[in-house]
Amino acid sequence: MGLIENIKEYQHNFAGNSNREKAYLSFLNKGFPTTKNEEWKFSSLKKIISHDFTIEEKGLKLSKEEIDHYSLNFKHQILFINGTLTSKPNINGVRINKYVDDSPIFNSAFSALNAACSNIGYEINVDPNTIIEEPIEILFLTKNSSNNFIQYRNKIVIGENAQIKIVEGIKNLSDKYCFTNMHTNIKLDKSSNIEFNKLQNNTNSQITIDETNLTQEKNSNSTVNTLLFGGMFTRNNLNFAQNGERCESNMNGVVILDENEFGDNHTYMDHKNANCESNELYKGIYLGKSKGVFNGKIMVQPDAQKINAFQANNNLLISDNASINSKPQLEIYADDVKCSHGCTIGQLDENALFYMNTRGIRKEDARAILTFAFASEALEKISINKIQDLAKKLIAEKLKVDLSF
Amino acid sequence: MLKIDNLKAGIEGLEILKGINLSVKKGEVHAIMGPNGSGKSTLSSVIAGNDNYEVNSGSITFEDEDLLDLDPDQRAHRGVFLSFQYPVEIPGISVSNFIKAAITEKRKVLGLEPITAKDLLGKMKEKMDLLDMQKGYLSRNMNEGFSGGEKKRNEIFQMAMLEPKLAILDETDSGLDIDALRVVANGVNKLKNSENATIVITHYQRLLDYIIPDYVHVLHNGRIVKSGGKELAHELEKKGYDWITKEADKKWG
Ligand SMILES: Nc1ncnc2c1ncn2[C@@H]1O[C@H](COP(=O)(O)OP(=O)(O)OP(=O)(O)O)[C@@H](O)[C@H]1O
Ligand SMILES: [Mg+2]
Repeated sequence: MGLIENIKEYQHNFAGNSNREKAYLSFLNKGFPTTKNEEWKFSSLKKIISHDFTIEEKGLKLSKEEIDHYSLNFKHQILFINGTLTSKPNINGVRINKYVDDSPIFNSAFSALNAACSNIGYEINVDPNTIIEEPIEILFLTKNSSNNFIQYRNKIVIGENAQIKIVEGIKNLSDKYCFTNMHTNIKLDKSSNIEFNKLQNNTNSQITIDETNLTQEKNSNSTVNTLLFGGMFTRNNLNFAQNGERCESNMNGVVILDENEFGDNHTYMDHKNANCESNELYKGIYLGKSKGVFNGKIMVQPDAQKINAFQANNNLLISDNASINSKPQLEIYADDVKCSHGCTIGQLDENALFYMNTRGIRKEDARAILTFAFASEALEKISINKIQDLAKKLIAEKLKVDLSF
Repeated sequence: MLKIDNLKAGIEGLEILKGINLSVKKGEVHAIMGPNGSGKSTLSSVIAGNDNYEVNSGSITFEDEDLLDLDPDQRAHRGVFLSFQYPVEIPGISVSNFIKAAITEKRKVLGLEPITAKDLLGKMKEKMDLLDMQKGYLSRNMNEGFSGGEKKRNEIFQMAMLEPKLAILDETDSGLDIDALRVVANGVNKLKNSENATIVITHYQRLLDYIIPDYVHVLHNGRIVKSGGKELAHELEKKGYDWITKEADKKWG
């Protein structure tokens, strides 16, 4: 059968809901993207969607140990287990609820599909002037008995002058496939601030499509840090729209993949207003037979004068069998704009490796040290020490060395 | 300690070392001099284990072990150290973390207890004092943006920290100002004892006024064409290489 047939069979679950039906028809019309689609040229879903999936499987029970094991132990935690919101924190000035959204807003096949049949999600409302220093951890755990297709639809609204930090992680505890289609809309009111950290140290049975849309009002500041450290297939669509002046948008990414893992980061920076800034830094490290895609588009609209837009995508191919396709795209319709972009693909410096070897540092460790050094510029942008430390540990694990960076 | 026998090595079919013989005993200082391009750095790279160079024949034994069988890191663990003519910049890792990694690994391989942070820092401080280095060095990235002289001093700092049995100093004097030369040379002398040996590669007598060699060798066109005592260096300073190289060229063509 395959995923599309599985979805058709699921259709009766939302029959009668006209918004959802509209979204569903739009999805059917578009179909799953193929490599003929320019935006999916290097990202083939063909094999994945040929498998059968249960839509929103109920899942198997998780033990307390399992949950604790994957928890990052932040004070504030929103926990989803097999698609059920099982715990949420009480924070002054922050309202957190289960969120079911059936507004037919979508711009792609996956967002239409998400709008059609997602029943799971959270909504975070941060009251104006509320400053939450301690990050909110959002953890999505699943343990399924069959291949599971699960869709989350989330919303974060940050009031004027408010500030929050988020750490998000998903984890599939079974060796059956978990195909997650995640959709998160984040609205930043005037002078508000968010740091959103996506921790994607996924297992080899995890397939992820993530769409995160941020819309920013005047003077707001947003940062999304993506740590893509594993997973069978990951496609991140990260979209920023600046709706007011003096906004700042930052996106940082560290990608480190091995074996047959695939990771694709598509970013879209829409500068719609004047006097704004954007900074984008993605570092990719590819081992084994892993494949990466980076596609960073910067749009500067006609009225968006005095824009400072910076983009860099630097890649290291550690193995001869790994590959990366990197494509910066600039569309600039204003004339008073500072835009810079750069993309590099390289190998580790042999002279540096030899130099380190002569000091008694093993090849593997020398490689790891240089690789870590390569990634560190992007890692340093994360303000949460615990996440930085975890990232260091995960990178050492990924590089199979016993080092503390 | 070190015995090199009829060593022939090169790169991509080009033979650079054409039969080197050299024997270095514990406690000795050997100076290697010779015109540019004669193969001095190639010889040090081959001893250190740079696999860009192919060894075509001959052998290098270090303390009765075949050095050519070992990887560069293993050679370092045995006590071989090369101070690079052109030290490499390692972005993203501080001098102190770099040295920590090197020492930690060496001790692990030798089966020694890991050094404590306190001991390591104490030792670094002591060696920095010895070489008259500012404390700020430790937190700077390895050689990144270092001046030529700073890089050379950093090489000797690493040597002081790693305490090798055989140190090869490839033109450590070039790039050092007059005062730095004295400080660094004194540092090298302080590290010298009856159990270790030093090979000093240099173009100038000046360094050998401080680090006094037991033997001086002239390398020319991939061969050691003359060896002598420390007075040979004085003679070279006065007369240049011509008188030696001409004769050698007659012999080997
Ligand atoms: N990697 C290499 N590729 C090509 N040729 C090389 C390489 N390394 C060394 N050579 C050549 O081998 C010869 C010896 O070089 P080497 O660097 O050993 O000389 P040297 O005696 O150290 O000279 P200097 O006094 O200038 O430092 C030179 O002709 C050099 O061009
Ligand atoms: Mg040289």
